[in-house]
Amino acid sequence: MTDENEIIPLIRENAEKGFRLLMAKYKEPVYWHIRRLVVSHADAQDATQDTFLRIFRSFSQYSGEGSFKAWIFRIATNEALRLLARNQGKTTLSLDETPLVALTMAADSYFDFGNAEAVKLQKAITALPAKQQLAFNLRYYDELSYKEIADVAGSTEATVKANYHFAKEKIIKYMNSNDT
Amino acid sequence: MEENYDFSRIGKQMPYTVPDGFFEKLEEDVMGAWNEECGMRNEDTSAAKKAKVVRMAVRAAIAVAACIALLLIVKKALPQGQDAAADDFDSVELAFNNLSTEDQDYLLEVYQEEQFLDNYLNELDNEESI
Repeated sequence: MTDENEIIPLIRENAEKGFRLLMAKYKEPVYWHIRRLVVSHADAQDATQDTFLRIFRSFSQYSGEGSFKAWIFRIATNEALRLLARNQGKTTLSLDETPLVALTMAADSYFDFGNAEAVKLQKAITALPAKQQLAFNLRYYDELSYKEIADVAGSTEATVKANYHFAKEKIIKYMNSNDT
Repeated sequence: MEENYDFSRIGKQMPYTVPDGFFEKLEEDVMGAWNEECGMRNEDTSAAKKAKVVRMAVRAAIAVAACIALLLIVKKALPQGQDAAADDFDSVELAFNNLSTEDQDYLLEVYQEEQFLDNYLNELDNEESI
């Protein structure tokens, strides 16, 4: 069953049940997507809550054009950017910022230092320019299509493909380096 | 030479963790906040509807009172048999001029009060629609 023929009709029929189904399906992907962007657990928690409340409030504005999944991830990305902007004392933050946030392992208690390779991969990802980071994360972790990622980033498929390609190259280079 | 890295070695593992029961609590927190927000919105809507009904009732009462006062005073001022001509503007003006200064002041006061309340109520309506 897809979102379009299961979750959306249920929300229209019974908002409470529909929103619960939406959360059951998306709470983890949305949280992890935001967490990879903002790094800190507390920030990710706040931005995830704000994301779902914004989704519920603006559900009636979802036109049905483009995938529902992309619409949800776009709102999640915007909430992550909004939170990072607030933390940095700015009014807005765009995907042109380079990079969004540095990986600060020591600052977060919910971090597993034991898996050195996983830590190194996240360091490589968070060091990327924001657009490349977004393209890589949404493709590698969330398995969105290039079209869906373009919808999330407000970009084109060709640009997203290029960003993903550059991101992957940089990550491979970093993973093969002696940097830790 | 193109470098390579075997992503399957690590797959989707991440160094990030969450507290136990985090996702269950997250869902309850979000749904709780949403239900609270909906409840507050419903209360706001209900209070706004009540206020609107009260304003409409006040406005109607003022209009009725003003009409009755005007009719009574004009009738009193007109000579007998002239009631039929009361809707004629000149007759009304003449009748108004025939009123005592006190009655004229009273009529003007009622009219101004009604205008003031009307403007005030319109402003409230505008604020509500914003």
